[in-house]
Amino acid sequence: MRAKPIPRLLRDYSRRYRWSYLSGAIFLLLTNYLTVSIPGEIGHAIDALRAGQSLVRYVAIIAIMGVAIVVVRTLSRILIFNPGRHQEYLIRRDLFAKLMRLQPSFFATTTRGDVVSRASNDVTWVRTLVGFGGLQVLNVAMALSLTGWKMFALSPRLTVAALLPVLGGVVAVQWAIRRVFVLSRTAQEQLGEISEHVLGSLQGIAAIQGFVAERAFVNRFEERNQAWLKTGLQLAMVRAIALPLLVLSGGIAMFALIAVGGPMAIEGCLSVGELAAFAALLTVLLPVLRSMGWMLSVIARGRASLERIFALLDTPEDRPEGEVGFQVAAGRGPAISLRGLEFAYDEKQERPVLNDISIDLPAGVMVGLFGRTGSGKSTLLRILARLHNPLPGMVVIDGEDLLSWDLGPWRKRLAVVPQRPFLFSDTIAANIALEREPDDAEVARAVVAAALKPDLQALPNDLETVVGERGIMLSGGQRQRVALARGLYRDGDLLILDDVLSAVDHATEASLIKSLTELTRGEGGPTVLIASHRLSALRHTDIVVVLDRGRLVDSGPHDELIRRPGIYRDTWLAQQAGAFHSEEAVS
Amino acid sequence: MSAQVSEAGALRRLWPFLRPDWWAFVIALALTPAAAGLSLVQPYLLKRAIDDHVVPGVVEGLGALAFMYLGAVLVGYVIEGAYVLSLAWGGQRTILRLRSAVYAQLLSLRQSFLDRQPAGRLMTRATSDVDALGEAFSAGIIAVVLDLLMIVGTLSAMLWLDAGLTVVLLFFSPPLLWILNVVRKRLRVLFLDVREALASVNAFLAERVDGVEVVQLYGHEAEAKRKFDKLNDHFRKVTTHSNYYDAFIYALVDGVSTIGVAIMLWYGSGMAASWGLKLPFGSSVVSAGLLVAFLEYMDRLFRPLRELTGKMAILQRGGAALEKILDLLREGNVVADTGQAAEGLAGHIRMKNVWFRYRPESQDVLKGISLEIRPGEVVAVVGATGSGKTTLMRLLDTSYSGYRGSIRIDDRELRDLRSSDVRRQVAGVRQDPQLFSEAVKFNVDLDNPGINEQIRRESASLVHLDQTVKRIGWDHVLRERGSDLSVGEGQLLTFARAMAHGTEVVILDEATASIDTLTERLVQDALGRIFEQRTVIVVAHRLSTVERADRIVVMDGGRIVEEGSHAELMAIGGAYVRLVQAGEALVA
Repeated sequence: MRAKPIPRLLRDYSRRYRWSYLSGAIFLLLTNYLTVSIPGEIGHAIDALRAGQSLVRYVAIIAIMGVAIVVVRTLSRILIFNPGRHQEYLIRRDLFAKLMRLQPSFFATTTRGDVVSRASNDVTWVRTLVGFGGLQVLNVAMALSLTGWKMFALSPRLTVAALLPVLGGVVAVQWAIRRVFVLSRTAQEQLGEISEHVLGSLQGIAAIQGFVAERAFVNRFEERNQAWLKTGLQLAMVRAIALPLLVLSGGIAMFALIAVGGPMAIEGCLSVGELAAFAALLTVLLPVLRSMGWMLSVIARGRASLERIFALLDTPEDRPEGEVGFQVAAGRGPAISLRGLEFAYDEKQERPVLNDISIDLPAGVMVGLFGRTGSGKSTLLRILARLHNPLPGMVVIDGEDLLSWDLGPWRKRLAVVPQRPFLFSDTIAANIALEREPDDAEVARAVVAAALKPDLQALPNDLETVVGERGIMLSGGQRQRVALARGLYRDGDLLILDDVLSAVDHATEASLIKSLTELTRGEGGPTVLIASHRLSALRHTDIVVVLDRGRLVDSGPHDELIRRPGIYRDTWLAQQAGAFHSEEAVS
Repeated sequence: MSAQVSEAGALRRLWPFLRPDWWAFVIALALTPAAAGLSLVQPYLLKRAIDDHVVPGVVEGLGALAFMYLGAVLVGYVIEGAYVLSLAWGGQRTILRLRSAVYAQLLSLRQSFLDRQPAGRLMTRATSDVDALGEAFSAGIIAVVLDLLMIVGTLSAMLWLDAGLTVVLLFFSPPLLWILNVVRKRLRVLFLDVREALASVNAFLAERVDGVEVVQLYGHEAEAKRKFDKLNDHFRKVTTHSNYYDAFIYALVDGVSTIGVAIMLWYGSGMAASWGLKLPFGSSVVSAGLLVAFLEYMDRLFRPLRELTGKMAILQRGGAALEKILDLLREGNVVADTGQAAEGLAGHIRMKNVWFRYRPESQDVLKGISLEIRPGEVVAVVGATGSGKTTLMRLLDTSYSGYRGSIRIDDRELRDLRSSDVRRQVAGVRQDPQLFSEAVKFNVDLDNPGINEQIRRESASLVHLDQTVKRIGWDHVLRERGSDLSVGEGQLLTFARAMAHGTEVVILDEATASIDTLTERLVQDALGRIFEQRTVIVVAHRLSTVERADRIVVMDGGRIVEEGSHAELMAIGGAYVRLVQAGEALVA
């Protein structure tokens, strides 16, 4: 049973600031008490004035109250707003930590824009909820009850007459708030779509300009922009009609004061001072009511944001971890055994991405993974990195089910270089080491092994060059090799290289393969898995695994595979053709 | 001074966006005096009710006054509604136009400019900056006019009712205004800090979410959390800090209005006179009704003052956003669609002594390239990483401009031709597939009216994309950057796009790097047939991709070092042979 969002917020985050809130509330109570007491003093003063008495006492009291209000209101706002800031910090911290733990299966079903918006916009709304919202709730409650009480003490009849229209206004505004809330959420979503469209267009600008497709993209943008305008105008309509209702009802209350209170004063049921005090109380009350509309929308939005945040925090992490808790004996390459491995990203998909794959890969070997575009190579590698979890028993590492290894230590043994390299907008050195205190010698070694050295010399600041967003400063091949250096820096027991040679020239490829083969030589070296469709990269491996449409169709050393009919041999012949051709030309 | 000049300039540049709905702003502006007047008359009516009826005990006419009050309230309500509506109408539609203009401008910026800008930051021009400006329109500019009117009107009404009382009250305002000003200045600086701190928190978070797999695979979580915590904590510090000032300024305005009441009573009761203070105008002893009216007026005077901090922040944000937006709109680094029309190009390219550098201060990347490519020829460009191949291609497909020397297409200088005409006939396919989060269909035809379903299907099957299409369907909407396709599939898709668009010149820049050899062969056979009559330039690392070209150009260090057919180059025994041998060493 999940807790409702606001009680959960109070329990998990607000509670630790209860003393701040409590003292803030006390100061707020004092503020409100002072505020509602002043009209009474004014009333007394007016009556004293009419009676020809001295006002010194009242003037002094009111002036002191004024000074006191500055002090206590400042304190109340600080003591209640600051916990909001602290909670904003805590929630954002927890969200970030959670996001860093969530698995790719989560990011496959949620857009990143949405996730980022939860951590930025929604958190801001929650801060407003616990700061401003909290203050307003207390303030409105206190002001309403205190002015009501003061008014009632002056004249119950007049109180009823004046507050009835106010009540009507508040009820009417309730409806509007709900509508405003729904509409602003829609507007927010539409704005999100606009953002994504703009970002996508910027990323694909070369294609847009290259194919002169600007018109098409502007048209699509206009559709989204117009949808946003429509919501915005609806929102304005509700705001225009409904939100001034509170001011209207305040005016009607003042009308009631004149129409009902005037004759009462003339009849003598009420002194002139009391009538003036009543008017002053209404003046105190109206701003509070005016802010109520805003407060209600803050609460509604904050609540919705809170739901979205908690939903994210509660997302199951899809990584059974520590249940069995095997600690891996690190320091040597693991043996991998696939036993009838099957995998589908989506249960609805007709054909699984991987189908019944069984093979034993001994410890410390260099394994080539071959297959045509879309054959499932990357998926297999991602499963080994446990970016996706296999079913129990399908992947066995050193005799134990992959799922029973602790995830953290398992990942520590890995060095994974994915097909799409991702670089942070930081220096190259920081991107390679990804540590607080990089080991410079190791970075230098990784740079050499990844054949990155010549590139560095062409860059403005060598290893300290900042690579820009997603590494935009670098070419595709350079990005790949920075990612490779990152993998080599790690000294992992299982090196997983997913098509990392696609964007490098032959000379670089040769030097990379040399680095890799050296790595696996010798006792206790790492197990290496290289996916590629360049056979030049695979021919130096100990064993090649051939995948076709998710099935294992062949496996064995390169020299054997090229002698058997199949896609491996076909590819070999195709790639050879070029080489033989050139030999003929040379001789 | 200069700030004011630039403000006028900003307004002038903004005017085209405001103009179509100028009447909405005029209506809103015209309504402000009425709104202010109706609000200001209410305290006066209240005073009349008390002083003329309640105090002397005259019931007659009190009802009429009450209903006049009610009338003012009701008409005020209608006017406020109309005011809000017309402002929203004008503001939102202006924003709509501005957003469209910003987007159109983004699309027309040169890639050489865009490559140096983080996409996320540019995106905010069309989103949060435009929004901030919109807020300034609807809650800022004209609202400030209304506030000023209210302040001036209230003061006038107070002076008219009792000049002495008003002057005494005003006597105390300079110190208040001074404090307000000091605090506001401090807040302005702090708000800037807050905004900056928040921007870095969000940017960091977005980037780590984007690269979450790297973070996880490399056990980078703790370090990422530590860095995030630093930014997050800094944000918390600056916000709590600004909060002290914020709380004080709000409370100050609140408390001061109460002190004003005390002053009013002190002066109005004649106490001031008995202390020797007597002004030459106004009554020294005020009526009960006047006091109540003044209370109401004071409330109307302080309300705008109290909200001013918030409004100033909105206006400031709007101003900063406007500046950034105008900067972007003014950015001259755009693909100008001027120059000679260039339709029906045959694709005869002649480069003569072409030099190029990315920035004036950087080194030359191309150093005197001369090369001729005839229509229907297939030319391959090879060379080590960093030899300038890609740069040369970017010049040809007009992604980059500003070359020295001469590039002529069909005997006409490339830089003089209308860029869109050239781009319609020269298409580049790059190694990083440029995919959009739209339907697969759209990703192929980009809504080009010249591409019908048949062409689309044919293109897809020619490049062997049909397997993929069968799996996901034409209407499947791709994820961001097409991340639900493999890199190879993405390349096939962009290939299909180039096929469907059927341009005269096709530039393939490592466009098949992630496609397996067998598929690549099939695609190449198809390309050979399709591109028979077209000019094709292929950049590749894999020499198997290259050797079937009519001519091979070898680049090194920004220069062309060899040129000829495969056989000729092999015979020379130079750079090409070395490249081939490097490849052979791997394969043979």
